[in-house]
Amino acid sequence: MNGVIAKPWSALKGSHSFKEIVKALWKANPVSKQILGICSSLAVTVQMETAIVMGVSLTLVVAFSNLIVSLLRAGIPRNIRIIVQCAVIATLVIIADEFLKAFMYEVSKQLSVFVGLIITNCIVLGRTEAYAMNNPPGRSFVDGLANGIGYASVLVGVAFMRELLGSGRLFGYAVVPELFYQAGYVNNGLLVLAPGAFIMIGLFVWLEHTLLEKK
Amino acid sequence: MSGSLKSLLYAAVLCIVCSLLLTAASSGLQPFQERNVLLDRQRNILAAAGLVAEGKRMSAADIEALYGRHIRPLRVDAAGRVLSDPEPSRESLPLYLVIIDGDRVEGYIVPIDAKGLWGPINAYLAFDDDGATVKGFTVYRHAETPGLGGEIEKKWFRDNWVGKKIVTRQGKFVSVGVAKGRVEEMMPADKREHYVDGISGATLTGKYLAAGIRDTLSQYEPVAVKFRKNLAHELEGALPRR
Repeated sequence: MNGVIAKPWSALKGSHSFKEIVKALWKANPVSKQILGICSSLAVTVQMETAIVMGVSLTLVVAFSNLIVSLLRAGIPRNIRIIVQCAVIATLVIIADEFLKAFMYEVSKQLSVFVGLIITNCIVLGRTEAYAMNNPPGRSFVDGLANGIGYASVLVGVAFMRELLGSGRLFGYAVVPELFYQAGYVNNGLLVLAPGAFIMIGLFVWLEHTLLEKK
Repeated sequence: MSGSLKSLLYAAVLCIVCSLLLTAASSGLQPFQERNVLLDRQRNILAAAGLVAEGKRMSAADIEALYGRHIRPLRVDAAGRVLSDPEPSRESLPLYLVIIDGDRVEGYIVPIDAKGLWGPINAYLAFDDDGATVKGFTVYRHAETPGLGGEIEKKWFRDNWVGKKIVTRQGKFVSVGVAKGRVEEMMPADKREHYVDGISGATLTGKYLAAGIRDTLSQYEPVAVKFRKNLAHELEGALPRR
């Protein structure tokens, strides 16, 4: 007990949950390391706003589906466990979609099918099957949050570069001064399109792998 | 209890719990969603009339105020006469007049219901007060494939409609069609003002949309003719005073 109070940081660093969080955010980031959820990363990263809403929606869905599956894990019959997980995830996704339609209608129109497609996002089912089925609820919830944030951070990073370089805006507000355009600066139209997103995600993957190797 | 019976029971209970949750969420949030849909339609009507700038953030109250000031919804019969009864019925057609400066009719807006590839396409087509020139086009609901047919809701495609004519120079109704590809390359010069650029990879969406617009506009021809003959005040005069 004394050791924990004397060295809170190293105690935290050594804890199981901390290692799991670092893993989800960095060492095994779902997007840039495991290359999961690429479809939605390509589609919703033209603007910061949609990327953030998508990131938050997915984070909530992963966290709560992990929590629920973990709570149910003792009772779920083994032979139908994937079906049960899918049902839980699908229910949460539809509820998230309904909330977006009720309170963020414009954003939900832009996200169109991609909120519904969270159901098919490998990150969610991957976490419930690989983690929540074998771990207690608290830790599963944290694991879900961390993985969701890991996904969202890459999404927001890609969206930042795409919106800034592709349309000279951030959150819909012009950030590249008019002077630049008069001096001959042109927005990179490629970044607005899906291939631009692919290249940008590729750069993020490259960056992460290079940094990980250096250690 | 045998394993498979337990699985079945578990699945059944899970289904009931999930469906109860979904029903609660859906019916609890419905009033908010319906209000959003209504506001979105009003915003689209304003956008078709060119009264709202692209991507501008507006509060619900702003939209309602602007809509109340500039848009007069009414219903007309098949001969283009304004009906005093504003209740929707099978025979009557909805029409929106665009009012500027308090009483001047600047144009009108026709709601379009077209068959799409995957589901209905709902749009608004705004016309100038000459009853022939398209002033704006907005799509507020569709189920087309994102990136292909879904492009109908994008700015480039909507802007494409502005300035097109639904009648020939001789006054014959021809509607506006969707070309296969770019109008400048695909159409002879004399037909270019009756076609918009198509979407590659979405030929059917364009075909269905053009057919839906043609059908709808042919029903609205009596109204358009009134505008062409400068008889718009007949419509406006029949409006209930506010």
